[in-house]
Amino acid sequence: MSYGLIVGEVRRGQFEERNLDSIGLCNLLGQESVLLVPQGDYAIKENCTDAIVKVAVDESIFLNPLDMVNILSRVFDARGKAGAVIFTSSSSGGELAAYAAGHFDMPLITDVSGFEKGQNIFYKSYFSDKIFGEFKPAGGEPPVLTVRSGSFKDAAGEKASPAVVEAMDGVPAGGARSFVEYVEEEKGEVDITKADFLLSVGRGIGNKDEISDYEELADLLKAVLSGSRPVIDKQWLPKPRQVGTSGKTVKPKVYLAMAISGAFQHIAGMKDSDCIIAVNKNAEAPIFQHAHYGVIGDANKLRDKLKDMLKG
Amino acid sequence: MNLLVFTKRVPATQEEEVRIVDDGKRVDLSKVPFKLNDWDNYAVEEAVRIVEKSGGSVTAISIGDAESDEVLRRAIAMGAQDGFLIEVVQEQQDPNARATLAHNFVRKEVLPFDAIFTGVQSEDDQFASVGGILAAKLGLPFVSMVIGIDAFEAGHATVRRELEGGLQERVKVNLPAVFAIQSGINEPRYVSIMGIRKASKVERKVFKAGDYQDGVANKIDVEKWIYPPSKGGATMLTGDADSICKELLGILKEKGVYQ
Amino acid sequence: MSLNVAKVLTCIQCGKCTGSCPESGKTPFNIRMIVRKQQFQREVEETIPWYCTSCGACTLRCPRDVKPSEVIVDIRSAFVEDGQVPASLQKALENTAVQRNPWGRSRGKRGAWAEKLDIEVPHVSETESKRLLFACCIQAYDPRCMVIPANVARILSRGGYEFGILGEEEACCGNEIRRIGEAGLFEELMEENTAIFQEYGVKEIIALSPHCMNTLKKEYGNLGIKVSHYSEIVAAMLKDGVIKPALAYDKKVIYHDPCFLGKQNNIFDEPRSILGAIDGLELLEFARLRETSLCCEGGGGRMFYEAEGTQERNSEVRVAEAIEKGADVIATSCPFCLMTLEDPATEKGIVVKELSEILMEVL
Repeated sequence: MSYGLIVGEVRRGQFEERNLDSIGLCNLLGQESVLLVPQGDYAIKENCTDAIVKVAVDESIFLNPLDMVNILSRVFDARGKAGAVIFTSSSSGGELAAYAAGHFDMPLITDVSGFEKGQNIFYKSYFSDKIFGEFKPAGGEPPVLTVRSGSFKDAAGEKASPAVVEAMDGVPAGGARSFVEYVEEEKGEVDITKADFLLSVGRGIGNKDEISDYEELADLLKAVLSGSRPVIDKQWLPKPRQVGTSGKTVKPKVYLAMAISGAFQHIAGMKDSDCIIAVNKNAEAPIFQHAHYGVIGDANKLRDKLKDMLKG
Repeated sequence: MNLLVFTKRVPATQEEEVRIVDDGKRVDLSKVPFKLNDWDNYAVEEAVRIVEKSGGSVTAISIGDAESDEVLRRAIAMGAQDGFLIEVVQEQQDPNARATLAHNFVRKEVLPFDAIFTGVQSEDDQFASVGGILAAKLGLPFVSMVIGIDAFEAGHATVRRELEGGLQERVKVNLPAVFAIQSGINEPRYVSIMGIRKASKVERKVFKAGDYQDGVANKIDVEKWIYPPSKGGATMLTGDADSICKELLGILKEKGVYQ
Repeated sequence: MSLNVAKVLTCIQCGKCTGSCPESGKTPFNIRMIVRKQQFQREVEETIPWYCTSCGACTLRCPRDVKPSEVIVDIRSAFVEDGQVPASLQKALENTAVQRNPWGRSRGKRGAWAEKLDIEVPHVSETESKRLLFACCIQAYDPRCMVIPANVARILSRGGYEFGILGEEEACCGNEIRRIGEAGLFEELMEENTAIFQEYGVKEIIALSPHCMNTLKKEYGNLGIKVSHYSEIVAAMLKDGVIKPALAYDKKVIYHDPCFLGKQNNIFDEPRSILGAIDGLELLEFARLRETSLCCEGGGGRMFYEAEGTQERNSEVRVAEAIEKGADVIATSCPFCLMTLEDPATEKGIVVKELSEILMEVL
């Protein structure tokens, strides 16, 4: 029987939580789950998959697409071709998956957000989730998949017994591409258009004194603080942080709008954010029509509660 | 420096309703306006900047119908020297098919290049894969999510990749290589209507996709298109402050912005 | 660089332009100095030209016909062709190129404002009079402004004044586009709209925005079509008793002259006569009124661009003036004035209303 190969994402000694989605999808595929990971001192639950293959390479080689295909060749030589090769849908997962699919000439479906077992159908979004396609690898060929984070972690579960751990020899670094170093985000003049996560405040927070608490929350959440035009007008935040038609247009992964009503000009500046979460006292606030998640309530109070939760 | 940039003409669906017709078999885009894929705009801009600094040329290539000429004209207006259209008769969604077609074209036409740029993804299918598959087929190094180019010299380049949560990684790579360019790497220059008109004077060569079909096939099939379950507005989080906060943090974790 | 060299050379540097400019003093924008630089073909710093609100005061007051507003458009055009346009303006231009409105909203939904109305709004081709109500981009899409075309449609309907619309066939008039310096795009819009007008045999255009009226009337060439602002029509309807306010409006209302309606097109009295026809309405005037009305800073691309380093916005100053005069309501007849005045007005607890909103409350 074929096996599902889950290429684990390990970065900076962290076994990423989104690997659970890869494991979950593999379980739904009904195949033996084999987790492929680099060497290193990081924590994995021992019951997570049927087998774990630990490759004797550092994570930097493991994350290098040119070297990864050599690692995969080794795995296929040892175990036969996988029934599916599953990567996380992330900066590195996507990069590795595309290169692997091209190298091994395998069908590729990315950002898989659903699976229909009976029909062997993979759901993939088009036009930013406006529609979904029911995809199948042609001729039933084993596919390379990347998995949308959050979509299958409930199916990750636990195996009855610990995984069978196997060590595998490493591959030498190819050298045509090499990791140099990590670069942390610069503090200073911030570019909100580059942020993954924006915590945005509106006029409804009340007054300038509330800003420092929002700054604290932003720090705890690793979010970047931004604001709607009235907030900048009143100089509660500096101009580079303005979101809107006459400010910046942003498309972060998450836009958390606190006490922003959702005026047209503001919406125009953030409506393409992947996930909009709106918090506002007024249930009729137009922002709720554009938000994915909403909370009707006092933004300042919610902020304080979140801070307590994160600090405690 | 010779740079090839792949550019795609995509439907501008952000504000539009996407219509599924023929019992889920087809998507009707007849009433939707088209434009240049946003990511490709950044890619062309970055390529033009490199060439402005170190000399050389940028060649824009588009795989699409005759209307895709529009994006080639734009690229030329921005500073590309050439535009090549690989005219397809029928649209090919599968990134494997598109990348194989691109590979065949580059090899058969013996195009000289130091680097190939693509956008990280296209706004319509969002597979984010053509660059990577193309690189593998060409046997070249690949770097995706390029958010900054620190050095671009004869034989090698040093670039930064965008990771999650504001973190970046710096990688060094031998040229020639394929780079998938991330949006936000630069501020693209504005291209005026008159500029695009002037660009029309530069010849864009048209090639037939049929001449480069070796190994080009759909490796994935779409059985059906469907609408997502209608949400009717925001999913409201309810309960006491504690449970709302927990749910909120859960959403943030899921989206990968908070660990 | 296509520059109206002859015009700048007639400038005698009297400074009347800077003296009347709403941006001078509080920003680095100095129009007299810019004309001076143009006389000597010196470079203008790239952030400077974008302050201009296209209010036209400089051109109106210039004793030498230099047309400084056009000098700004020329400078901006050169920047546009060079690709050097501030990011938010780029977006507005790109949106207009794709969706025919600077907000990037779906062209297909441009007629949506007329769909759920309590009256039938026909396509202009279905009318006998071939009178076109030109909706305008912000009024077709912005929820705050969508009430205006709806109101005007109702008012005209009540007065038995036949009209039709173009719906999604209407494209941005291009007034702001031209002033941002995108001459090629303006030409495209003008050609598109003109062709559509001709296709349907449009004989008359009623513009809802003074900006649309301005360009359709003065910059579209010889259309052979009569172009008016809706206030002209409605003022006549009130004067002739075709429509009559039934209720009183017991408020102190101060009228703000929009630049594109007032100083640039001399329509000062019609909006006032509309307000004057309402019982109980006490009409107040700003000290800076009519030709000297204080520009709200919504024009010239400023709806899409935040100029750096400005202190108090003119809209804030205007609201303070209104409160000082004891007004309950600021009335205006331009959607950009409405939008720019409303934010500071809401802060200070005074209401801003478009003419049609007041009328709908009393008819």
